[in-house]
Amino acid sequence: MTKAMFVIVALVVGAVVSAAHSVADEGPISGAVKAIDASGKTLTLQTTAKGETREVTIVLKPESKIVKFARPPESAKTGFVEQPLALSDLKPGWIVSVTTKHEGGNEVAEIVTVVLEKP
Amino acid sequence: MRAKLFTSLAIGVLGLLVGLWLVPPPATRANGDKHEEKGGHAHMPAPLEYADIHVPTSVWTDPAMITRGKEVYASRCAVCHGDQGDGKGPAGVALPLKPPDFRDKDGVAEMRDNYWFWRVSEGGQVEPFKGKGSAMPPWKGELSVDDRWAVMAYQHTFSGHNGPHVPWGHPESIAMGRDIFVMACVPCHGVTGKGDGSVGSMLSPRRAPQPRDFTSAEFKFRSTPSGQLPTTADLFRTLTEGVRSSGGPMTIGLRGHRIMPSFQHMPVAQRLEVLEYVKSLNRGFWQRGVVKTVTVPAPPPLTPERLTRGKQLYGDAECLACHGTRGRGDGPSAPMLKDNRDLSIAATDLTRPARFKNGARPEDVYRTLVTGLAGTPMPSYGDSLEPDQVWDLAYYVLSLSRGGQSAQTGSR
Repeated sequence: MTKAMFVIVALVVGAVVSAAHSVADEGPISGAVKAIDASGKTLTLQTTAKGETREVTIVLKPESKIVKFARPPESAKTGFVEQPLALSDLKPGWIVSVTTKHEGGNEVAEIVTVVLEKP
Repeated sequence: MRAKLFTSLAIGVLGLLVGLWLVPPPATRANGDKHEEKGGHAHMPAPLEYADIHVPTSVWTDPAMITRGKEVYASRCAVCHGDQGDGKGPAGVALPLKPPDFRDKDGVAEMRDNYWFWRVSEGGQVEPFKGKGSAMPPWKGELSVDDRWAVMAYQHTFSGHNGPHVPWGHPESIAMGRDIFVMACVPCHGVTGKGDGSVGSMLSPRRAPQPRDFTSAEFKFRSTPSGQLPTTADLFRTLTEGVRSSGGPMTIGLRGHRIMPSFQHMPVAQRLEVLEYVKSLNRGFWQRGVVKTVTVPAPPPLTPERLTRGKQLYGDAECLACHGTRGRGDGPSAPMLKDNRDLSIAATDLTRPARFKNGARPEDVYRTLVTGLAGTPMPSYGDSLEPDQVWDLAYYVLSLSRGGQSAQTGSR
């Protein structure tokens, strides 16, 4: 009985630790757009995290969303409206934040949010 | 029995480890920011290039500036920082490093104005924010200084504080500096920074130099013109290098050594923190507007003609009245010299450049000649001598040194 409890506790700890690590890997990635490959459906970002700057190539699938937020055209309304964009609308230098998931060794975009459109 | 005990112990230890892992350590300034959970970031001292940029106090409550700031905020900031200043703009919630919540009264109160201006100007493109993955753009290229002040004034309204955002209104913004001051500076500079600490007066009783009165407008070692307060970089230099004693009856043992210690081994961030506290003792640092410093041109070549002209100037500018013919501080006026506290003060012995309190490099001597030493009889020659003449005099002064040291003499 005691041995079984020991094993259960060890398994629970192991599961919690690995779950935490897998959640940490899938946080949003933000950075500047470095390159866009409209035909290959990829987006390369230059991103900095934990003191390291690196390039990350993100794959876009049909279900991936690209959005930016703008003020509504009606001046009386407040807040922001979500405007969908195509991959080809993105420009190098723009700051974006991407929520991704791991699929087959690739980072696949779920939502690409434009943070700043740099001229 | 023993196996049961061991197993129980193992489970207990495992449970403890899991518990420790799950519970985050208390967030303090030392190990992060206690406002992280509200999207706050480390409130560190602004770097020297931003340390002197203080927002004019009237800006914080100026309705016109707040209205202008609201327009800028709505078009540039709200998409991340939120229309309500809560850091929950539609783009902000998607960021790995969340924007701060300006409604966090405590978090805003800890932010000094020069830090705030630095963040708006440089965004997340500088360390440590870049390393943390900040996506905040730098606005210095797009927004004028006034527009940046305006948007800060508007952001400040989210905190609910109605007065100007200044250290004497937010003592928590200088709490760390105050703590360092209490530990390291009070014995000489006194509890209120008036230079009346008990130790300082023992070093040179009834004579200058005495510890600086930070509440006064007179600081000796500056790169600013006569009559102006020093820059933060000036204060940083003095704090880092200390001040050498040029001697006095009670400083015989200290002559040539530092009468104010060097704090070069104190971490830079802590030196900057204590300087923010020191500055808070004199509101003039917030009232002076744009800071102008003396420009020190590149040192020209040293030539015999330059030394000849310098010697002539040494007489014409009446340097020998105090410093003496041979520069030994024994001029006819020397015994009568008094500082601004009416204490006897010695004219510097120019033959010992290693004891020059404001530095002994040619650039340091040039700067001292132009700025003067406020609070002492040493005047500023900035208005009476041309730059080339100042170099002539600086080189001649250095030529008076014993052992023939001249333009290559080192630091303080």
